[in-house]
Amino acid sequence: MEEYFSSDDECCYSDRDSLDGLENEDSRTHWAPSKGPASKVITKESLLAAQREDLRRVMELLSVREHHARTLLIHHRWDVEKLFAVLVEKGKSVLFMEAGVSLADQQNLGVPLPPTVMCEICIEDVLGGDATRMDCGHCFCNECWTGHFVVKINEGQSKRIKCMAHKCNAICDEAVVRNLVSKTHPDLAEKFDRFLLESYIEDNKRVNWCPSTPHCGNAIRNEDDDFCEVECSCGLQFCFSCLSEAHSPCSCLMWELWVKKCRDESETVNWITVHTKHCPKCHKPVEKNGGCNLVSCICGQAFCWLCGGATGRDHTWSSIAGHSCGRYKDDGEKKAERAKRDLFRYMHYHNRYKAHTDSFKLESKLKETIQEKVSVLEDRDSKLRDFGWVNNGLYRLFRSRRVLSYSYPFAFYMFGDELFKDEMTNKERDIKQHLFEDQQQQLEENVEKLSKFLEAPFDQYEEEKVMNVRMQVLNLSTITDKLCQKMYECIENDLLGSLQLGIHNIAPYRSKGIEKASELSVCWGNNSDKALHCGSSGRTTESDQPSGSGSSEESGISSRKRARMEGPGGAFFDLNLPADNVDRSEL
Amino acid sequence: MMIVEFTVFSTFKFVAVKLSEVIKQQNNAAELFSVKASRARLFKEFKEVQREKVADPDIQLSCDDNNIFKWTALVKGPSETPFEGGIFQLAFAVPEQYPLQPPQVRFLTKIFHPNVHFKTGEICLDILKNAWSPAWTLQSVCRAIIALMAHPEPDSPLNCDSGNLLRSGDIRGYQSMARMYTRLAAMPKKG
Ligand SMILES: [Zn+2]
Ligand SMILES: [Zn+2]
Ligand SMILES: [Zn+2]
Ligand SMILES: [Zn+2]
Ligand SMILES: [Zn+2]
Ligand SMILES: [Zn+2]
Ligand SMILES: [Zn+2]
Repeated sequence: MEEYFSSDDECCYSDRDSLDGLENEDSRTHWAPSKGPASKVITKESLLAAQREDLRRVMELLSVREHHARTLLIHHRWDVEKLFAVLVEKGKSVLFMEAGVSLADQQNLGVPLPPTVMCEICIEDVLGGDATRMDCGHCFCNECWTGHFVVKINEGQSKRIKCMAHKCNAICDEAVVRNLVSKTHPDLAEKFDRFLLESYIEDNKRVNWCPSTPHCGNAIRNEDDDFCEVECSCGLQFCFSCLSEAHSPCSCLMWELWVKKCRDESETVNWITVHTKHCPKCHKPVEKNGGCNLVSCICGQAFCWLCGGATGRDHTWSSIAGHSCGRYKDDGEKKAERAKRDLFRYMHYHNRYKAHTDSFKLESKLKETIQEKVSVLEDRDSKLRDFGWVNNGLYRLFRSRRVLSYSYPFAFYMFGDELFKDEMTNKERDIKQHLFEDQQQQLEENVEKLSKFLEAPFDQYEEEKVMNVRMQVLNLSTITDKLCQKMYECIENDLLGSLQLGIHNIAPYRSKGIEKASELSVCWGNNSDKALHCGSSGRTTESDQPSGSGSSEESGISSRKRARMEGPGGAFFDLNLPADNVDRSEL
Repeated sequence: MMIVEFTVFSTFKFVAVKLSEVIKQQNNAAELFSVKASRARLFKEFKEVQREKVADPDIQLSCDDNNIFKWTALVKGPSETPFEGGIFQLAFAVPEQYPLQPPQVRFLTKIFHPNVHFKTGEICLDILKNAWSPAWTLQSVCRAIIALMAHPEPDSPLNCDSGNLLRSGDIRGYQSMARMYTRLAAMPKKG
């Protein structure tokens, strides 16, 4: 470790005002292989741009119109690569057919409708101008089309409204839908557009809404296939797979079980039911203290532990005077033993988990007080000018504390019977548990030491003593980071990696903490000829007509600013609620 | 005669969900499609039915004298099936958004068939649920039901006994049960 306190220069990297600064390059604590940020924040404004990019790729490659590209993408859950793979594998016609894109010959569609058309739905003759022919060639009257669209949008099926004809799988042209619906139901036309726009989030396996409540309005796109934890620009850190709080090194399943267990406190309830019974006379809970099944309440009433019935006071080993319930066996005893053992095990892990979570909360307050200490030191006229180590250490403390607290539920499931009973022999399990607990203990010790030094009133110390604290903090920061890294490696390679059931995956350890999703760069591209219909209601939109709906003024603003920019009524999509929520509240 | 193709729902659960949705929609969508339009369409179907009576002797559709949204049909059990010789009565409840939403149809005559609920007469048929298309008519729904009688789908049974017989390969058992009920319920009593 010597290298870490070799010279002042090396340690005096530039001071930083906030913990955010630590996200930046810091060669010292750089264990994880560095990758560019793989997740992007999609805000209300960049949502259009995000879709546009994918739509354009498909439109260009297949030379199709926008609504066809969208239909194809929705069918393939916005996975452009998969769509292209299907194209190569099965060919264009299958790709189109499966997704409901109609390849009816375009010349035929160019032919104008005859002066009158018989609509097969209302069985009425209508003027050609009052009927619409869809890409699949099927023609019905506008009134029937509108009714059909309205019913489907109300059903929440607006992303894929099928043609009205029997057995026709073609998806209706969104421009036609928008146009017809907006004439009579402008509110529904808006809803239709919102559904289409949000399909990019709802139907996309790489994109999730940020799970914050109240909702920040953002979604996150993750480019990697890996399990990961991300931080939204609203500050919430979450697991991208299960959308609950970041929980590594627990797997999603472990975390789900743990949360449920803590909520139910099922074990505690078991314990109470196994260990106390209500007195048949005064109904107070009575705890059993000893092997005997004749218990007596403080009110003086004696009763049989097994059936709860009131009894006389005399008893022998096998019977109680004036009472025979036939349950005087040790069966209940065994159950009680088991429940007790399980409860103690759970309590062991839960107490430690809780202790670290609580410390984490307390230490979060340190963030404020420690700034005061730093400013006291800065005002002093001393050799020591740079206090980056304080924030650095504090950050490392938070990071390791998190890892430590989640490592307890992990261990609870890893070495318990619930998930992996048949995966290891008892002996294997003991060895692995030892290995893991060794590491956990080491980490625990160092985290506590780090915490102690950072909480110390070092602003009151002599200069020499401050130098000592600094060295300790630097040293311990490095050690805890290394230990966290090692623990994850052990979990990934020796514990989860050796399982037959490959369902437990965890987000990898990152020294620098959970990745902050970066802003999606909004590049409107050069050819904005194909406009995305962001759907102001009532507008008649021909899909080939450029409308430039995404204006460039949206492009250069950061999302934080944008979040505050929401003018009242100015935006027509309330992305603060997923579409179905909005619907429910409207109904 | 038009060829009717259809498939039957694959799971029970799905049916339950869809049914509740249908009910919800009917409450919400009441004024979406004018009742006038449904009436007009039903009236046209009525006229069409009068003309088709001759063309399709297997189906006899009639409308309630006082309510154009209530229909009944008598359909002949298809030949070479256990339902041959039986006449089955169907009841139609047509929603106000018809034909944008499907009619509700059930058997009034008891029938032993895997896709028909033995007690309620409910029918499990996709075109009456999510595969509905406004281009269907009451007449074509009857044809689809006749086709279902001839080709049961034991994998989505509303009548489990019947479904189990078929699934276990006991065709004869199924047929004799079905024939028995046809005789009991769908044939005019002798004497
Ligand atoms: Zn029409
Ligand atoms: Zn069509
Ligand atoms: Zn957020
Ligand atoms: Zn998770
Ligand atoms: Zn008592
Ligand atoms: Zn005793
Ligand atoms: Zn007893």
